Amino acid sequence: MRLRLPASPVENSLEGRAFVFSGFCVAVLAIVLYGQDYVVPAAGVAATAVGHVVSYRGRSRKRSVLGQALLATLVFAGLAYFVADSVLALFGGVLPQANFAIALVAVTSFDLKTRRNCYSSLWISLAILYLAAVYAWDYPFGILVGLWAVCLAGFWMASHLRRMQARLSAPPAALAAVVLGALGVGLAGFVLIPQPASFAPTPLVVSLPNFVSFKGELENPALPLVQISGDPSGATSSVDLHFRGRLGDTPVMYVRTGAPAYWRGLVFDTYQGGIWTASTRGFREMQSFIPPRLFPPAPPNNLGTFVQVFRVLRPLPGVINAAYPIESLYAPVTSLREDSYGTFFTPDLLRPGQTYSVVSYLPNLTAKELQNEPVANAAQFINPIYLDAGELSQQARGLALTAVGGHTTTEFDEVMALTNYMQANFRYSQQLGHVPAGRDPVDWFLFDVKIGYCEQFATAETLMLRSLGIPARLATGYSTGTYDPVLDQSVVRERDAHAWVEVWFPSHGWVPVDPSPGFSALAATQFPSHWAAGGIARLIPHLELGAPLGAIGSLGVVAAIPLAVAIVVLVVFAWAWMRTRRWKRGAKAPPGESELLRLYERVQRKLRRRRAPPETPLEYLSGASPGPVLGVLDEVTQAVNEGAYAGRWADPDAVRELSKRL
Amino acid sequence: MSASQEQALEPQRAAELLGRIEENVHRVIVGKKRVVRLAITGLIAGGHVLLQDLPGTGKTMLARALATSVGGTFRRIQCTPDLLPSDITGSSIFNQKELSFEFIPGPIFANVVLADEVNRATPRSQSALLEAMGESQVTVEGTTRTLERPFFVIATQNPTEFHGTYPLPESQLDRFILSAEMGAPTDAEAMEVLARREHGDPIGELAGVVDLGEVRELQDACLRVVAAPAIRTYIVSLLQGIRARPDVLLPASMRSGVYLQRAAQAWALFEGRDFVLPDDVKLLAVPVLAHRLSMRGRARADEMIQQLVASLPLPPLRQH
Repeated sequence: MRLRLPASPVENSLEGRAFVFSGFCVAVLAIVLYGQDYVVPAAGVAATAVGHVVSYRGRSRKRSVLGQALLATLVFAGLAYFVADSVLALFGGVLPQANFAIALVAVTSFDLKTRRNCYSSLWISLAILYLAAVYAWDYPFGILVGLWAVCLAGFWMASHLRRMQARLSAPPAALAAVVLGALGVGLAGFVLIPQPASFAPTPLVVSLPNFVSFKGELENPALPLVQISGDPSGATSSVDLHFRGRLGDTPVMYVRTGAPAYWRGLVFDTYQGGIWTASTRGFREMQSFIPPRLFPPAPPNNLGTFVQVFRVLRPLPGVINAAYPIESLYAPVTSLREDSYGTFFTPDLLRPGQTYSVVSYLPNLTAKELQNEPVANAAQFINPIYLDAGELSQQARGLALTAVGGHTTTEFDEVMALTNYMQANFRYSQQLGHVPAGRDPVDWFLFDVKIGYCEQFATAETLMLRSLGIPARLATGYSTGTYDPVLDQSVVRERDAHAWVEVWFPSHGWVPVDPSPGFSALAATQFPSHWAAGGIARLIPHLELGAPLGAIGSLGVVAAIPLAVAIVVLVVFAWAWMRTRRWKRGAKAPPGESELLRLYERVQRKLRRRRAPPETPLEYLSGASPGPVLGVLDEVTQAVNEGAYAGRWADPDAVRELSKRL
Repeated sequence: MSASQEQALEPQRAAELLGRIEENVHRVIVGKKRVVRLAITGLIAGGHVLLQDLPGTGKTMLARALATSVGGTFRRIQCTPDLLPSDITGSSIFNQKELSFEFIPGPIFANVVLADEVNRATPRSQSALLEAMGESQVTVEGTTRTLERPFFVIATQNPTEFHGTYPLPESQLDRFILSAEMGAPTDAEAMEVLARREHGDPIGELAGVVDLGEVRELQDACLRVVAAPAIRTYIVSLLQGIRARPDVLLPASMRSGVYLQRAAQAWALFEGRDFVLPDDVKLLAVPVLAHRLSMRGRARADEMIQQLVASLPLPPLRQH
């Protein structure tokens, strides 16, 4: 016996094919975003677009033997590429499986004739999304999955509607009403959902690929955090401002934490020739558990403590990153060392899978609290190294004075004035060339390019604060990371590596201040309730009723995504609804039609066999098993034929009569 | 006599007339109910019929019986390679008595014309015949002469002979409203045929049962049969379905859709209906469509259409 699949109809719906292609584009976008792979996805999208055009045009043509052989050859060539790439790492692709799947879609897109083919193409796109999920499982990814689902639903509806021969002829007014309604709903949600204050939208950073030899690793000595250097613990002793590598999206650690904070690692106090170093190199040997009594006393008016558990995901320098000030600390290593800045080191590298826990204070570092300190106090106590602005040019000192002009009553005012000035007048970018030889990096940043990354902001601010007589130092580490509600923890990635300023306030100690645009200026640990609200609401930008103008300025592309998704979903459904409406509309149903057809359905149910779609009423009648129902069926069939094919629907009373006999 | 608006033929009466014709033809043709009905359908639908089968299966007999039954004139054209167009249409001959040219009408000037073995005529003669079929008029030596209604051509074709034949091209096949095969008789039928011929040929005793006016009325009644929008949808999706089949080289033309609707209208009259059912369309799909499709490879048009008809969903019964 020859086994045959039921024939799948030729897919004639152009919209349906557009949805299939969009589903593929969504999947490829995920690969681009999370795999940081550009060449194969771009080529794949281009080839698939061509393929869709080719297969739409030739959808009714028979497949030629040569064409089929060519397709099969290309599929196997793709497979060979996949094997070679995974085994030999030919191109160092991040996701060779994804590249293979993309190639597969591109090849098969030249042969999408039937509906089943189109569905297969969509399933491969889903597989591509799954491969991207290996790298990322965050909200934007959820949006991509949602978009893919919209494409699937759209394809289903488009091909279905096409089969029903429905025609699109939506009245423009209704269409406009639906779109405006969707916009209105989105806008209302946008305004009315309360915003957690801890979330500051970051500016959109578009990264272009680095084709040279970037493999998701750091390539320069300037970033000490992710890079493992010569020291036994892997920690670096300097930060060079002249060079800067690109940071990848690879997660470096998971942090399960009670509150969002900056995870501080190394601290530097001496700036010489564009290089930050630490002036004191002494270490204190400690046990692996450090109880509260060995730490400095708790900060005044603190709001309690919270616990962080760090889980390392890739080899890292042996530096304990944690929220400061620490209350107690435990790391499962033989011993710990503390340097004179309060940073802890492990004897060895941190290995993937290693964990350590820290209990930290929630310092009460609000503007109100810090306002109380007069500016004169600051410089009295401190080590003069924190006031050494030695290399800062006169021009930069002048700039510092201008920036804080008029805000010199308290230290806090002065610091905030400078920080706000930095955030407002300089642009943040990770795409920055190298500092020209012989040019001071700070001056180059402040006066030449006016674009910088966190270290340049932090360095400039530190030195300028020092020139104003305020003790400051450079702190490095990681910013909070992305909160993942599924894992209930923060995912810290390479690109979260950060540098900021610590300013000395005599009665509060070192207070973190962040001059990089897009970050909160006062970078102290936030109150945990903000963090708790930082789930899905974090993704939705809001107008804070108090500061609507500021929020409008913070509308990034991310902000538009949920709105866009809502609109797309609404429009797709409204469009489908209108098409079916249009199809059903026309003259009002004549009396008797609905009654008779309902009776016909009832008779069919009674006979326990439904009329097959290709079966005519007469064929159904002749195939019905004899019985008491048959007589009624005979008459009903007559009436149905008269109604459907002569337009003479039976009188409702006559139908009722028939149904009584049933 | 032509039917006026007031005296329009009732479907019941049409069915009765058609039944009489059928019965009369069956006095000569044994069995073959379907083919006989198809041939009458072709006549009522105002088209022309192509019969394809082996010699001696009763093609000519059917044509003659039909012609006699409707009381019209019957002429036969035996197609051969040396047949000239003027042999079909007729020509002018010099009348020496009256010293003028006199037009002698050819065999095409009849109500029922049998074009026997049409594929043996040269393309030139074929096209003369087909022009008459298409236009219902003949132009000879600059004078156009209209043919009397009803004008009905039954062409026969022997599908097994290839030597010395000129197979009709697709464009000309497209002009026949339907094509049918006589098919071999069953044993009982064959015995019945022998029994009837024992003492002569029954065709000689055949008489007309309807007159030409009634045939014209039937043709008018056929035009009044309703083909509902659902039927049109069904026919269009059938044509679409054929077009979408990968094994079809030349898909069904628009004309074939028109013919299918017309033939279904005529078919409905046999049952006294004044509306077309999808069953009629299903039944006629193969005779009307199969002969005009050209297929790839060894695919057979009739099998493909059967498959398609069996799987094509009807338009929904509910239209509002």
